[in-house]
Amino acid sequence: MRRFLLRRAVQAAVVLLGVAVITFSLLQLVPGDPVRIAMGTRFDPETYAALRERSGLDRPLPVQLGDYLLGAVRGDLGVSFRSGAPVTELLLQRLPATLALAAAGLLVGLLVALPLGVVSAVKQGSKTDGAATVFSQLGISIPDFWMGIMFILLFAGTLGWLPSAGYVSPLDSVTGWLSHLVLPAVTIGVVTGSILTRFVRASVLESLGQDYTRTARSKGLPESLVLRRHVLRNALIPVVTVTGLQLATLLGGVIVVEFVFAWPGLGNLVFTAVQGRDYPVVQGVVLLLAVLFLLVNLLVDLAYSALDPRISYS
Amino acid sequence: MVDSAPGECLSAAMRPRRALLALTATLALVLPACDTGEGVPEAGGGAAGGGEGGTLVAAISSEPDQLDPHNTTAYASFQVLENVFDTLVQPTPELEFEPALAESWETSDDQLTWTFELRDDVTWHNGRAFSAEDVVYSFTRIIDEELSNAYRFTSVVEVRAVDDDTVEFLLDQPTPNLLANVGSYKGVAVVARENVEDGSIGSQPVGTGPFRFESLTPGQGAVLSRNDEYWGGDVALGGVEYRFIPESVAALTSLRSGEVHWTDNVPPQQVQTLLDDDTLVAESVPSNDYWYIAPNHTRPPFDDERVRRALALGIDREAVTRAAQFDAATPNQTAIPQGRPFSVDYAPYERDVAEARRLLEEAGAVGTTVDLMVTSEFPETVTAAEVVAGQLAEVGLTVQPRVLGFGQWLAEQGEGSFDMFLLGWLANIDPDDYYYAQHHSTGANNFQGYSNPEVDAALDAGRQATEDAEREQFYDTAVRRIVDDVSYLYLYNPDVVQAWRPEVTGYTVHPNRAIRWRDVSLDG
Repeated sequence: MRRFLLRRAVQAAVVLLGVAVITFSLLQLVPGDPVRIAMGTRFDPETYAALRERSGLDRPLPVQLGDYLLGAVRGDLGVSFRSGAPVTELLLQRLPATLALAAAGLLVGLLVALPLGVVSAVKQGSKTDGAATVFSQLGISIPDFWMGIMFILLFAGTLGWLPSAGYVSPLDSVTGWLSHLVLPAVTIGVVTGSILTRFVRASVLESLGQDYTRTARSKGLPESLVLRRHVLRNALIPVVTVTGLQLATLLGGVIVVEFVFAWPGLGNLVFTAVQGRDYPVVQGVVLLLAVLFLLVNLLVDLAYSALDPRISYS
Repeated sequence: MVDSAPGECLSAAMRPRRALLALTATLALVLPACDTGEGVPEAGGGAAGGGEGGTLVAAISSEPDQLDPHNTTAYASFQVLENVFDTLVQPTPELEFEPALAESWETSDDQLTWTFELRDDVTWHNGRAFSAEDVVYSFTRIIDEELSNAYRFTSVVEVRAVDDDTVEFLLDQPTPNLLANVGSYKGVAVVARENVEDGSIGSQPVGTGPFRFESLTPGQGAVLSRNDEYWGGDVALGGVEYRFIPESVAALTSLRSGEVHWTDNVPPQQVQTLLDDDTLVAESVPSNDYWYIAPNHTRPPFDDERVRRALALGIDREAVTRAAQFDAATPNQTAIPQGRPFSVDYAPYERDVAEARRLLEEAGAVGTTVDLMVTSEFPETVTAAEVVAGQLAEVGLTVQPRVLGFGQWLAEQGEGSFDMFLLGWLANIDPDDYYYAQHHSTGANNFQGYSNPEVDAALDAGRQATEDAEREQFYDTAVRRIVDDVSYLYLYNPDVVQAWRPEVTGYTVHPNRAIRWRDVSLDG
């Protein structure tokens, strides 16, 4: 187990270094210098030089990259061009809101996908199965930003049940926080849930046709026990893999949903940063997302051994 | 110039209605279980507290990058700072300058010394008395540290305090637009030295304005509270809470449901619906921004005046305006909206395809292919370019819109490698700012290479003259020549559109997009 973790840590470090170098280089390839663009056409060479010096952009590129990597190792990701605030601080401010939204979205997705997927597999070809297929097709094909807007119009506008957008800290009001969380979480949950439903259904179907299921049934076990102990347990392994991947995809999808609902997370931060060409912030968010991605993958691998005693890392 | 663009939002791409019905039916099953049972929070009951006078809640589309007025270029910052800081003078809704921190001002006979008499009843939000030293410190900071507004003070040799209530600006050449330079917006506000020196101005600004800055929560909002010591008299509101809501549907839904009182996050295609909505108040006034096409005067075919005139006659401004801005802009053949100070009532062009074609034939330019450089940074320029291309095809000019990233766009503009470009200028107030840099043959932003000695003389004279009536004469002459020569082909002034709930009273829409809460109150 220790060797496994050590190997993964080394791999993760290589991946993160790669992400940092690639993000840094790609942003250099974007045409146009951010200081020049910030000044618009009202151009004054002296002000331009002063601004470039202040933001450190006048140094040679390898020096900038080296400084960036050395800083990143120490947790210093530079300062925002726009606000002058340390990037690490900005990321830590926004991370909790994004994690909460991603977790809530995944929870909604699982709450939808697990029952729906299992029922439609067990009752293959039934009306429920048909409805589940329609639901997952819709969820996959409708863009999340559009769905978010429709939810706002319906549940905040027409019905007036929930706030349109914004955020209340759970430290100020738990119910306020929850009421603001519902619409964005459901938007994410519908998309995630519809993808997961298909995987759960397929996985359960496969498991239902396996020899061990037939053996369990022929032993005379009640159907509910067969399902719980033999079918679901085995069907869960691929579902966990996909859920892990989904969580990573979902962290990307959160960007758009956060924009629509004015949710103060990383998505909202990176959206503003891209618009304002605030490269240090963009780099920081990409790096943080990479870290989260790696962590989720590690957790997925560890979950395998918990779910299936045959898998072991020792 | 274009230093902050109105945020372009995702538009709701419409899908088949059946899909929507199925979707909402599905969700109607899911959602009641998620309802917290809590009602939607009404505006004013929020985090700001408010107290006497209530708290006005305003939805703005983006968040301030920082709160140092001299260093930020983000419009969102100024939406907040407008109410925290003061300038020496300030623009009225008619864009004339009225006293603010300065009670009065006068210029010496040689126009090289401007003397401002300051109010003696002003205190900073931290309790310290305001004095002439603060003014000297603020302008010296902008100039010496080469901050982004330093270009406004190139003629200023020194700013000095004569006594506690008097400040002198010593100039090396007459500068009739000095009032605009010291007061057109809060980017040239007077700041407190201690607030700058302890490094807190970017996060906890201390001003002299009608509201004190309380807090900013990243990604969420900012809170102001009333300044009871305000020099300009009583302020009715107890406070203001800004919420950052980038998506316009969310902002407008919040306004309709009463979660917020005011918003300017109104996409152009929603303007008419809002103006027709009886449950809200909405106003749309032409801004002092303008959008234009600049033909390149230094190379064929637009070095030929006949081709430029053909361009001017071949375009249907109304159609271009509608395509780019729906109902949220006013076509104009000059830069300054009609009826404003220094506007020129001159509109010589009406679309005439036959005459345009005749001019092109005379110049031997029929069938010429020209490029029109636009930028994805401002998507409305891309839309406008497509319409312009269609219209000019009828005349006999083949226009190829060239869409570039803003960085490359600026580089090519600087090098002069374009046949035409389409862009806008934002937030000018003085006519010198509208015309000198753009059309004087030595102007810093005369990228189109226009040169007309008559215009140069009039613009130079406009810079030296001190009486408004005299200046109007000079600018009238210059503008008519600029329009006749098609130095720029002016298109339209976008409107400032803002909407609020009926309980908000005393609010005025300013054409320069300044958002002031000083005279606003909440009824009921």
